Amino acid sequence: MITLSSYLILSAILFAISVAGIFLNRKNVVVLLMCIELMLLAANTNFIAFSHYLNDSAGQVFVFFILTVAAAEAAIGLAILVVLFRNRRTIDVDELNELKG
Amino acid sequence: MTITDFLFFVFAGMVIMSALGVVTSKNPVHSIMFLVLTFFCSAAIWLMLEAEFLAIILVLVYVGAVMVLFLFVVMMLDINIVKMRQGFVSYLPVGIAFAVVILAIMVWVVGPASPDVSNTAALHQAVTHGADYSNTKMLGKIIYTDYVLAFEIAAVILLVAIIAAISLTLRRRPGTKHQIPGEQIKVKRDDRLKIISMEAEVKK
Amino acid sequence: MTAEIITMGSLNIVTAMPEIFLLIMACLVLLVDLYLPAEKRQLTYLLAQLSLIITLVLMLMNPVTHTTLAFNEFYIHDPLSQVLKSFILIISFGVFVYSRDYLAQRNIFKGEFYVLGLFAIAGMMLMVSANNMLMLYLGLELLSLCLYALVAYNRDNAKASEAAMKYFILGAIASGMLLYGMSIIYGLTGSLKFTDIATAVATGTNSAQHIGLVFGLVFIVVAIGFKLGAVPFHMWIPDVYHGAPTVVTVFIGSAPKLAGFAMFMRLLVEGLGGLQADWQQMVIVLSVLSMAVGNIVAIAQANLKRMLAYSTISHIGFLLLGIIATTPDGYAAAMFYTISYALMALGGFGMIILMARKGFEAENIADFAGLNQRSPWFAFIMSILMLSMAGVPPTLGFWAKVAVISAVIDVNMVWLAILAVIFSIVGVFYYIRIIKVMYFDEATENTPIECGRDMQLTLSTNGLAILALGLYPAALMALCVSVFK
Repeated sequence: MITLSSYLILSAILFAISVAGIFLNRKNVVVLLMCIELMLLAANTNFIAFSHYLNDSAGQVFVFFILTVAAAEAAIGLAILVVLFRNRRTIDVDELNELKG
Repeated sequence: MTITDFLFFVFAGMVIMSALGVVTSKNPVHSIMFLVLTFFCSAAIWLMLEAEFLAIILVLVYVGAVMVLFLFVVMMLDINIVKMRQGFVSYLPVGIAFAVVILAIMVWVVGPASPDVSNTAALHQAVTHGADYSNTKMLGKIIYTDYVLAFEIAAVILLVAIIAAISLTLRRRPGTKHQIPGEQIKVKRDDRLKIISMEAEVKK
Repeated sequence: MTAEIITMGSLNIVTAMPEIFLLIMACLVLLVDLYLPAEKRQLTYLLAQLSLIITLVLMLMNPVTHTTLAFNEFYIHDPLSQVLKSFILIISFGVFVYSRDYLAQRNIFKGEFYVLGLFAIAGMMLMVSANNMLMLYLGLELLSLCLYALVAYNRDNAKASEAAMKYFILGAIASGMLLYGMSIIYGLTGSLKFTDIATAVATGTNSAQHIGLVFGLVFIVVAIGFKLGAVPFHMWIPDVYHGAPTVVTVFIGSAPKLAGFAMFMRLLVEGLGGLQADWQQMVIVLSVLSMAVGNIVAIAQANLKRMLAYSTISHIGFLLLGIIATTPDGYAAAMFYTISYALMALGGFGMIILMARKGFEAENIADFAGLNQRSPWFAFIMSILMLSMAGVPPTLGFWAKVAVISAVIDVNMVWLAILAVIFSIVGVFYYIRIIKVMYFDEATENTPIECGRDMQLTLSTNGLAILALGLYPAALMALCVSVFK
């Protein structure tokens, strides 16, 4: 039987995978950005599931805005990535060590 | 088990497997492809929750635009894949342990045994809408009225993204040749074409 | 769902006039800048400053006698937002003044800086005036996206782009956490609006719903910790402050702290006030760790921007003390601290901009050696700023520290007050070191300080204001207290 919990557990699993992914891929910035997208997907699934079971549209509208903002965020993140690569020829987080102290 | 239950488990399983693929793939391009699959299956899950409009948006905007942007960037940058993978295996046990702990806590809170969630679910029974119900119409009605301020701010955020992305990445290379339409239009016949009078050539 | 007809009157647009005006002006500045030749860029700057002044006037023209809601209760106009937004505008004005010469000397005097700056200010104002979680999130993202881009603004600088990448990744993770927390809170309370959430929490806490709410709360506190830069979520602060162009550092380090304070007040005090006992525990941990790590690590820094970054972390710890007290007086003290700190940070980073010139950044403490011989006046201003940050009377920083410490003593958390006093004494050491370097070390160079009159005047006003407010703190304190009446 599919209940609210089923959806919430699914998004909890997605969230856990994304956090683990941030841990595992800390060298590769592109995969880090993808893990962030997974995290947002988990939050969105939560919102939609609650919205459905509460029979309240606010959750769906919130997801609409999260999707908009996430697209803008991805564009800026990738622009910064390109600038970084032009300057440093690397996107390896370990090599980003000019700023230390 | 009804057919919807079955579909939920199929798609949920695919979401989880492909999400794992995103974080474990060796090649960033494969990661992106797995992420596309994750979004597709999530869209199916959202359809089951009667969020039809958002499900379509997820596929059109996310898969169609954002993921393509990711692909462009990954293929444009020359990434050394082997180096990127260093340290992955040594972090693996920590990462898995961390994920399992988080997951255990989360499932304990939001799982079926949790009184909070069952309370919420019991208080408000999900309403299943008929075939004449339009999710898009419902969202459209409130986004342009109740949520008008949020809608405007979202527009500003997109504008900021455009300004930021262009100002960060647009480069004018010194050697590039550009068209100058003004100059092109101003050209007179006399600048390009000279008519000279000469004796007709006669074939001998 | 009932199809309601909304009219312009029911939206109450006039209430949100300052933000609307600012957003229109930001678009106008963008367009004007596009058609300006490089030598007339000054006009962009003047237009940006003019819009800040008019926005401030528009806001002060609309006095707050009571709470007004606008845009279907999405936007709130109350004393808290009035005061915070006024200071955000004043401080941003100072940031723009400091930025002009710095950008021009480095050939990065472009309109985008002011356009993104204006949008960021609008984002902060919307955060302060948010009446539900959606508006808070959108305001926060508008601010953050502008700041990410501004950090990378000098795009040929490798350090800046590295800082921008770190800032972006951690900022985006924090946003993800915030959203996950918000989704749980929404699910368990059934609303996005802070007042409705507060009602639902108040009626639901006796049941087992409590665990779920605390679960959502943890994510939200972590996210706010990230955004404010409280330990253990502080790792981005030193790198971003160090790597960003100094004019962007002064922007990030000053006005957004006021917006961060507002975020805390709206989300945790207004919305989740019913869970006070739970978040108080978490915030105590953040506060003590921030004061300890910030003050101790700052001692080891040779780079002034990094030192001020760690000092920011410690100040965040102090301002959280006021919130920990969870009394109206405590909130007023925290607000007083935030405003004081934003003014001090503006001056402190402003001094680094003043000392910098083409091809030289004046980032190191050693660059301030013998400043007294080169410019006694600015050595004096810098001393005021450092003494104020250290919390030495009779400066503003002293009263700010007194206010937050007495707020925690009032709620019988004497051990916390003692810790705060100990850490502020540790902190005095590294601030005094700068004063020592300025007055007693030999100057390594004797080039006179060159910069525009406007910059000198604003920086002097900034420093003297901290002294004057320190001598007469009652007015500002009364203003903060009146907000939480």
